[in-house]
Amino acid sequence: MSWIVRSLWLIPVLPMLAAGVSALLKREQRRLSASLAIGSMGISFVLALSAFAQALAEPARQVVNFGWMQFGNQWVSLGWLLDPLAAVMLVMVTLVGLLIFIYSLGYMAHDDNFTRFFCFLSLFAGAMLGVVIANSLLLLFMCWEVVGLTSYLLIGFWFQRPAAAAAAKKAFVTTRIGDLGLLIGMVWLYAQSGTLLFYDHGAGCLEQSALTTMAAHVTIAGMAVSTAIGLLIFCGAAGKSGQVPLHVWLPDAMEGPTPVSALIHAATMVAAGVYLVARVYPLMTHSALAVVAWVGAITAFFAACIAVAQNDIKRILAYSTVSQLGYMMLGLGVGSVAVGMFHLITHAFFKALLFLGAGSVIHGCSDEQDIRNMGGLRRFMPVTFLTYAAGMLALCGFPLFAGFWSKDEILHAAHGWGLSRGPFYLGAIGALLTAFYMTRQVFYVFFGPRRTTETRSEPVGSHHGPVHAAAEPHESPGVMTGPLVVLALFATLLGFVGTPAWPWFQSFLSGTPNSFDLARFNEPGLIPLMLSSSVLVFAGLLLGWWLYGREPILRGTDPDALQRLQPGIFHALANRLYVDEFFGLTVIALTRFASAFSSWLDRWIWGGAVRLVSFLTVGLGWLDAGVDRYLVNGGFDAGCRDLARGGRLFSSLQSGRVQNYLRVIAAALVVLAVLLLWGRRG
Amino acid sequence: MNAVSYLELLRLTLPEIALTVAALLLLTLDLTLLRPSPLARRFSVAAFIACAGCLAAIALVAASSATASLPDGMFVLTPLTHVVHIVLLVLALLTVLLSTATRFTDHVGEYIALILFATVAMMFLIATENLLLIFVALEFLSLSLYILTGFDKHSRQSAEGALKYFLFGGMSAGFLLFGMSLLYGLSGSIELPRIAAAVSGPSLDPLLLIAIVMVAIGFGFKVAAAPFHLWAPDAYQGAPTVSAGFIASSSKVASFFIFAQVVTLALLPAAGTAGYRGYTPGWVPVIAIIAALSMVLGNLAAIAQTSLRRLLAYSAIGHAGYMLIAFAAHTPESLSALLYYVITYALASLGAFGVLGALEAEGVDRIRDLAGLNRRAPGMAFCLLIFLLSLAGIPPLSGFFGKFFVFAAALHAEPHLSLLWLVLLAVAMSAVSLYYYLGVLKQVYVTEGPADAPPLRIAPPTRIGVWLLAALVVILGCAPSLLLNWFSIH
Repeated sequence: MSWIVRSLWLIPVLPMLAAGVSALLKREQRRLSASLAIGSMGISFVLALSAFAQALAEPARQVVNFGWMQFGNQWVSLGWLLDPLAAVMLVMVTLVGLLIFIYSLGYMAHDDNFTRFFCFLSLFAGAMLGVVIANSLLLLFMCWEVVGLTSYLLIGFWFQRPAAAAAAKKAFVTTRIGDLGLLIGMVWLYAQSGTLLFYDHGAGCLEQSALTTMAAHVTIAGMAVSTAIGLLIFCGAAGKSGQVPLHVWLPDAMEGPTPVSALIHAATMVAAGVYLVARVYPLMTHSALAVVAWVGAITAFFAACIAVAQNDIKRILAYSTVSQLGYMMLGLGVGSVAVGMFHLITHAFFKALLFLGAGSVIHGCSDEQDIRNMGGLRRFMPVTFLTYAAGMLALCGFPLFAGFWSKDEILHAAHGWGLSRGPFYLGAIGALLTAFYMTRQVFYVFFGPRRTTETRSEPVGSHHGPVHAAAEPHESPGVMTGPLVVLALFATLLGFVGTPAWPWFQSFLSGTPNSFDLARFNEPGLIPLMLSSSVLVFAGLLLGWWLYGREPILRGTDPDALQRLQPGIFHALANRLYVDEFFGLTVIALTRFASAFSSWLDRWIWGGAVRLVSFLTVGLGWLDAGVDRYLVNGGFDAGCRDLARGGRLFSSLQSGRVQNYLRVIAAALVVLAVLLLWGRRG
Repeated sequence: MNAVSYLELLRLTLPEIALTVAALLLLTLDLTLLRPSPLARRFSVAAFIACAGCLAAIALVAASSATASLPDGMFVLTPLTHVVHIVLLVLALLTVLLSTATRFTDHVGEYIALILFATVAMMFLIATENLLLIFVALEFLSLSLYILTGFDKHSRQSAEGALKYFLFGGMSAGFLLFGMSLLYGLSGSIELPRIAAAVSGPSLDPLLLIAIVMVAIGFGFKVAAAPFHLWAPDAYQGAPTVSAGFIASSSKVASFFIFAQVVTLALLPAAGTAGYRGYTPGWVPVIAIIAALSMVLGNLAAIAQTSLRRLLAYSAIGHAGYMLIAFAAHTPESLSALLYYVITYALASLGAFGVLGALEAEGVDRIRDLAGLNRRAPGMAFCLLIFLLSLAGIPPLSGFFGKFFVFAAALHAEPHLSLLWLVLLAVAMSAVSLYYYLGVLKQVYVTEGPADAPPLRIAPPTRIGVWLLAALVVILGCAPSLLLNWFSIH
């Protein structure tokens, strides 16, 4: 076993250490905190690269397990593993993380709590890397929860703003609902297989013997146990990855600083759900995968619809993220690990790029986030514009850009899925919508005249010091645009590692030999499918141009083009299809009612009982006190008085006159002698 | 009389000799070389020599052979006497440690030497079964203690206490000697086991009963049992604090041990019973009466005291009562119960006097001066808490187990439950004693002291000694078997 496998634990531990040290630093030690975070991330990146090289050289899975603690005669073991899946994720997380850390130097430069920010960010990175290398569902779950915690902390980073605090709470609670499923699934898995290690030389829970037993057991409604456990674990994944109906927290999470949105809520953490499903893929039976596929497809379509009518630049991207996560789940459901993971990786790069680009725009426009109040930024921020355009084309699936290859593969797999064509159609329409809403956004933000900010709502955030409202938009500093350029390169070119002709990525993950073969394009249905998906993308772009680009948008107060055409639909979409309201009327109302009922129960029934008991006790107490005062205490006080009087009497024996003392001896002699002699006689 | 091998005598009394040499050495040094030195220096040198002497003596005791005896019971060493010797030496060592911080006298050499001489006397007292030697050793001890009591020549109280102590002591020594001569007359022997053999018979001689009463008076004075306690409050109050602590600890251990030896060895046949219904004359009823009287008188009178020293004096009388119960029980385990009680009592009371001495140097004497002590000297306050709670018999401190063993021994006394009345009385008096001990602790911990009171400065040797004593009290309480096993193994 090579050194890198043995010291793989260093990769997550280094950022965690950096976080621990940062937590102890003073607020003024900004430079040290940032260097710790970036330095540890850099070393982790280098280590991740060597791990990747190791996985390239030896694709077989390598695990290191150790006993953590003992219950009775059972050991709870933890461990880490290195396989192509983990290696790819490691490189992605460390690279994107490193770039975003660097970008944050510029973005957070004016924030008072710079140190705290980097502390949380490092902690997040450590925990996320822990999720990636965990070889035990328990270890994964622990890191998973730390990731959730840091997400909460970072969404609420500007906790002075009520919206941010509420969003942090919402994110935490919503993901916890999914985590409950994951926890139950984990416990059930432990009960069934007796171990939580994924791979343990044949004895792990993802290995043949355990899988066979679990598949053989049948539980409620004729489901195999492994299906049930898989679905429960998927609950956790759905919560983290914002799948319908647990997606509501993700758009609100955009209240956090933009680098956080980019790192956690676009590139890595939300993808952890997808990664979890990929990790426990052997556990997923066909029926479980069907659920995953349908949920993914519905999410992809649903979120794309909502994104069409949003006006906040980050919210559009957030719904887009939800939609793309749906695609990944769809890819896992209908295809294989490689299909979903490929999109995960490409998406991580181009969505991080888009978020950072959006951050750059926000930074340059003095914290403006409403796209209606932007416009014409192409001239002011050329680098941002160009990189943003690359990210947008990648996201739309424009031919030859990264997103094109990965999304196409998902659609290809969905097309070939035996159970139903439904997910395919949902995905295809989603692709069209994606192109449309991104075009809309880009036209609003970068084209047309510069729109003044008279309609500005409340200024968002005060973290950039005094708001320089009237200032001209300006290009962001190099420390921010540098990462954009790097990410743009990846967004453009990364797709080529997984084309049908040269499916290197897919064969790397599945461990099969790879070759370059143009003939694979001739596979029946592939070329038409690619063409049709390209047509859909062009249609979306064209539609967007038709509505938003044909004539420049002059005033931010003008109604949206789509709004003029279809006010009803636009209104519904703008209100996010009333999902939040639906939850408000159902789940939250129910909880309110239950809590009111419990409160009533508590106050009147239990409280009444308690009060009755307390009245009884007080009554008894009165009785007792009376008895005590007049019977017991009276006697006791009298006794005590007598004792004290006796004490004074005895100490008055101590007259101080020695003659009297000596007389006492003589008296004692006489009394004792008489007593003994009398006793002897009697 | 048989010839005495002086070499043998020298060999057996090596620990005593070591102590005497140390005493003479420090006396000489102090009177010659150290005369012009400052007081603190003289105290530390003297204390150092004394401690070295004690340690040497402890080593010699530990190394000496297990049993030995000289003719006529003049000098008898048993494993049990070794234990008591070591305890006495440890107590002497701690007393010396505590006395180094005192500044009431400039006769340093004499003071420390007297403590050592008293200890030598006690060691002889422990190691003899001969009436004559017992009396001589007892007088040796008493004379040393009289001087120690009156050592503070600037204090009228000290002189008064010493004089009362001396007069009372002289009188009771007379009674003791009278009693002993009666015993000799009855048995024709001054060796304890032989006396027992001679006086055994179907009925008791009236003269023997008189002798028993007189011996009880003599030793009752030494252990400060009522009604022979009258010297104690005055002596405790007048004496320099460390002397008082020494009288309350070391001399108690030695006196109780020899008292037990005399009554159990010499007067074994004349035990009698003190049952509530079946009363037969003998020393048991005498001691039971003295015990009851001491407990009642000591504990009740302690309530009325305003001076901490007098309070401790009266509580010492009460404790003497509890210990006499162990005598009265007269069962096989009563000797080890008595020893455990008296040793732990000696530790706690020496500790309490040590704390008191440290406080008196700062002008704290009356109980109400203790208010706010917890803020002024938290360490001393905590140690005082341990000592007083141990004296009151709160578990897990050693005082609790002392009382427990004594009461258990008394309940096993023959005939069955005959001493129940004594035990019930003792338990009731323990409850009373809790009141005055807690009264002191309330002053220490609850009552607010004067706001401007400065923190107390406690000399390091005192602090070490007090903490050592507190640690011993806690350890022996948590693991009483440490001490008990020591008695039973030997």
